[in-house]
Amino acid sequence: MDRKLIFEKQSLCKASNYFGPDAALQDVAAVLPAAVLREELNLPSVGEFDAVRHYSNLANLSFSVDKNFYPLGSCTMKYNPKINEDMAALEGFIGLHPYQNEADLQGAMELMFNLQELLCKITGMSRFTLQPASGAHGEFTGMLMVKKYHDLSGKKKTKVIVPDSAHGTNPATAAMCGYRIVVVPSGADGLVDIDKLRQAVDSETAAIMLTNPNTLGLFEERILEIANIVHAAGGLLYYDGANFNALLGVTTPAAMGFDVVHLNLHKTFATPHGCGGPGAGAVGVGKALYDFLPVPAVNKAGSRYYFDNNLNNTIGKMRAFYGNFGVLVRAYTYLSRLGREGCLRVSQNAVLNANYIKEKLKSVYEVPFDKICMHETVFSCVKQKERGACAMDIAKCLIDHGIHPPTVYFPLIVKEAMMVEPTETESKETLDNFIAVMQTIDKLIDTDPEEVHNAPRTTPISRPDEVLAARSPDIRWKKSGV
Amino acid sequence: MPYILNTDKDVKEMLKAVGARTLDDLYSHLPAEIKLRDGVDLAKGLSELDTRRRVSSLAAKNKTLGQYNSFLGAGYYDHYVPSAVNFLISHSNFLTAYTPYQPECSQGILQAIYEYQSYICLLTGMDVSNASMFDGASSAAEAVLMALRISRKSKIVVAGAIHPEYRRVLATYVSGLSFRVVEAPAAANGMIDLKELPGVFDGDTGVCLFQSPNFFGLIEDVEKICALAKANNILTAMAVNPMSLGLLKSPGELGVDIVCGEGQPLGGTLNLGGPGFGFLAAKNDCLRQMPGRIVGKTKDRDGRIAYCLTLAAREQHIRREKATSNICSNQSLNAITAAVYLSVMGKEGFKAAAMNSCANTQYLYKRLKEMRGVALPYGNLFFNEFVWTTENAVNILNRLKEKGIIGGYYLGNDFTNQKNAILSCCTEKKSKEEIDTFVNTLALILHG
Amino acid sequence: MAELKFSKTHEWARIEGAFAFVGISDHAQKELGDIVFVELPRVGEKVKKDGRFGTVESTKAASELYLPLSGEVVSTNSELGKAPQLVNESPLEKGWMIKIKLENSAEAKELMDDAGYNAFVAQEKH
Repeated sequence: MDRKLIFEKQSLCKASNYFGPDAALQDVAAVLPAAVLREELNLPSVGEFDAVRHYSNLANLSFSVDKNFYPLGSCTMKYNPKINEDMAALEGFIGLHPYQNEADLQGAMELMFNLQELLCKITGMSRFTLQPASGAHGEFTGMLMVKKYHDLSGKKKTKVIVPDSAHGTNPATAAMCGYRIVVVPSGADGLVDIDKLRQAVDSETAAIMLTNPNTLGLFEERILEIANIVHAAGGLLYYDGANFNALLGVTTPAAMGFDVVHLNLHKTFATPHGCGGPGAGAVGVGKALYDFLPVPAVNKAGSRYYFDNNLNNTIGKMRAFYGNFGVLVRAYTYLSRLGREGCLRVSQNAVLNANYIKEKLKSVYEVPFDKICMHETVFSCVKQKERGACAMDIAKCLIDHGIHPPTVYFPLIVKEAMMVEPTETESKETLDNFIAVMQTIDKLIDTDPEEVHNAPRTTPISRPDEVLAARSPDIRWKKSGV
Repeated sequence: MPYILNTDKDVKEMLKAVGARTLDDLYSHLPAEIKLRDGVDLAKGLSELDTRRRVSSLAAKNKTLGQYNSFLGAGYYDHYVPSAVNFLISHSNFLTAYTPYQPECSQGILQAIYEYQSYICLLTGMDVSNASMFDGASSAAEAVLMALRISRKSKIVVAGAIHPEYRRVLATYVSGLSFRVVEAPAAANGMIDLKELPGVFDGDTGVCLFQSPNFFGLIEDVEKICALAKANNILTAMAVNPMSLGLLKSPGELGVDIVCGEGQPLGGTLNLGGPGFGFLAAKNDCLRQMPGRIVGKTKDRDGRIAYCLTLAAREQHIRREKATSNICSNQSLNAITAAVYLSVMGKEGFKAAAMNSCANTQYLYKRLKEMRGVALPYGNLFFNEFVWTTENAVNILNRLKEKGIIGGYYLGNDFTNQKNAILSCCTEKKSKEEIDTFVNTLALILHG
Repeated sequence: MAELKFSKTHEWARIEGAFAFVGISDHAQKELGDIVFVELPRVGEKVKKDGRFGTVESTKAASELYLPLSGEVVSTNSELGKAPQLVNESPLEKGWMIKIKLENSAEAKELMDDAGYNAFVAQEKH
């Protein structure tokens, strides 16, 4: 198989006249001093067709949601509806420069405003910003607002609490805001240990960052108690919306006591993952943080939409311009299709599908917390490890069956963890196939351990040497001899 | 019910398998007081046809840049993107794939990102690049944080002529930390005041962030800035328009330590300012302090070339609160778009786009130079945009708009001492006729 | 060669007069797996006992390194830049990480000897 880089291709093709006359209106070399002009530009020149061949072939080497079942925990790899793509590609959207006058942008601003309103209704929050470009970016936005809120109150708040099952972005975000992180252990039931939480919370607690359901897929049943404990100490509750697919239409973060929320539009709201982005991390706040949002806010006066820079306590700006607008169009289109009924069906089917997988596989793969789960469930492959195959081996075997592996080795509190989130858009047939394959792989551990350890074998490469990659990083092409 | 494949029969069977009677039973362990009684207060879901109608009507309410003869730049640029680019990145194996955590089934994505990283290094003259950041402004902020981690100092010097949004985002990014930001003023010529600059540095300065071409379009004396910074043991972080690197000397050649910027000009659409992407590149010895994902090349068990995510110990999922950044998802598809754009355009095509952007803007400059009522305060050492001033600039811009021309970006929005200044930009898409129309219309407006 | 003394965080110190060499134990390198990078302090840095002096990374984890005895860094093992695997292959000898000038050699009393450390590791597993 040809794995040549684009830089290693031999063809040298002249430019294809993409935009107009070959001759420039002025000789730039005569106008700009030679000292600023570059002498060498070592880019390939393969020509359009070979470039199309090259990237089409690369595309063929990868799995995708459109082709493969992708039960990655907390990623919500649901179907990406194609009407969203058509709408995002409309010239009336993609042809807008962010600095055009507001009069030119009314339709786009109406879309953003409407999306903000929809998200308020879905979460019970009072106001939303669509500026952040991802969940982590949303976390940073939310926690900066928390920090400013406390700074203005004059109270000394230095600590942020996260459960030990938290996603790594939570403590990383808190650190970027200058906070010290306090980790609260989970109890034997997989939920936040309320007694340990009580001990950890004090007058310097700025906030607790929680996802609910948590990364074990379990609903924090004592959430209202948690909220009371933190609020009583003058702290705020931050909702990491990565797992919101479980609760859409069922409950809201506001009802659970959260003060600030981020939603991952590329998870719950079906915008495509694009190999790891772009996403969007919409952030919602209650009344207390109403005017702390980043500017400009998208506001409405009468029938006119405008960019409002007058938020009294704004934290400033998280990025240039207004947000990942192309992603927002997709989310808005999706919500228009879903409506009230559709939202509830998302949660119901997501939760049903995950519980179904748990029930069908729990006799084969240990379920550390065997109670009703929400949209995802976590298995532990410790029994398999004792027989000679770890979670990674099982993951690699799934690839040979055309299934993208679930998340492995997270959350950190479960040994040999395998976190499975099917989402609501999968059919029972797909789930049954996954269940059957997982059972087959388990048997294979005893009947053909070599196949398990050598998997995958049907892919363009076998397991790569990640140690070599980290010890001797080769992260860009270099011309040979350089 | 759109997008749900479970039939009533399926639901019944699965409920039985999990031991629940109804779907409501799945939530019986949630506190009753938090459950919504009537679901979310949304209207009924629309059919696909009605959704199309609704969203399309919102698109139709806008006026796009293409409906004007536009000279608007200021950080986002209207370049020509060949059809092949959108075709390729719309492939569902790029669009609907996830982060390539499992390398064996993501080789196409990983190789595309490796090519992107390589392109950024080639353009910027740096040794290493990551797999993208959110946008130019946040990449500049992360470049500064990276420099401070390396230098272990706490003062940041920022050039006054940097994009105003970059400056605001940087201020927000450091607002929770005990770093200080100090401005290096622009001189009367619109560039960093090189005489004043050393005076702004002190023993606690860890980084000097500047932009070239700067927000006024001007090409700074990058070599001199780097020499001054280096003499004071200060790292340099430079924001740059990547399209300009088809024409101008690379920051690497000029001595810059860290390079960042907005990647939208490389095959991206305007899209109301997002999604684009930020790029971040640096010298080899900064590699382990670089935030974001990085793709590396290695071998598989059978000796084949293989790509995988690497150096993950810098990142949040391993390092948690000690990570180089909290960034997880980035702007992967937009970064791959840049690689595809550069590959389709090829060396000559890309050079021509850069050259013609500059040449067209120099032509506009030349014509405005002859115009009574227009002043050009900064000279023509620019890439694709420059500042011109005229009395009642806002009024002039409005009158140009009435004639179907967007004259440029009004600098009075951000600079109190630039109330009559406009920043105008040409890309390779501009024709001589369009530029002449702009100039002639302006002459009519100014002189009657 | 002088005897190795171990800390509860799995580092060892080998005292030689007024100086000490520091590294991580065999148990620690096994737990980490293939080591890909060792981040070491700069010469001249002063670190207190139990203070952080660096990081050791594998592909899947990163661990802080804590100094068993207070001191000033006088040299670091330059081989580890090219060959971090020395820590896996020879954690107690070739994989040494830093050499410090001791501030207070009395602190060594609080460290464990070889037998004591092995017992500590055994009971830590439970």
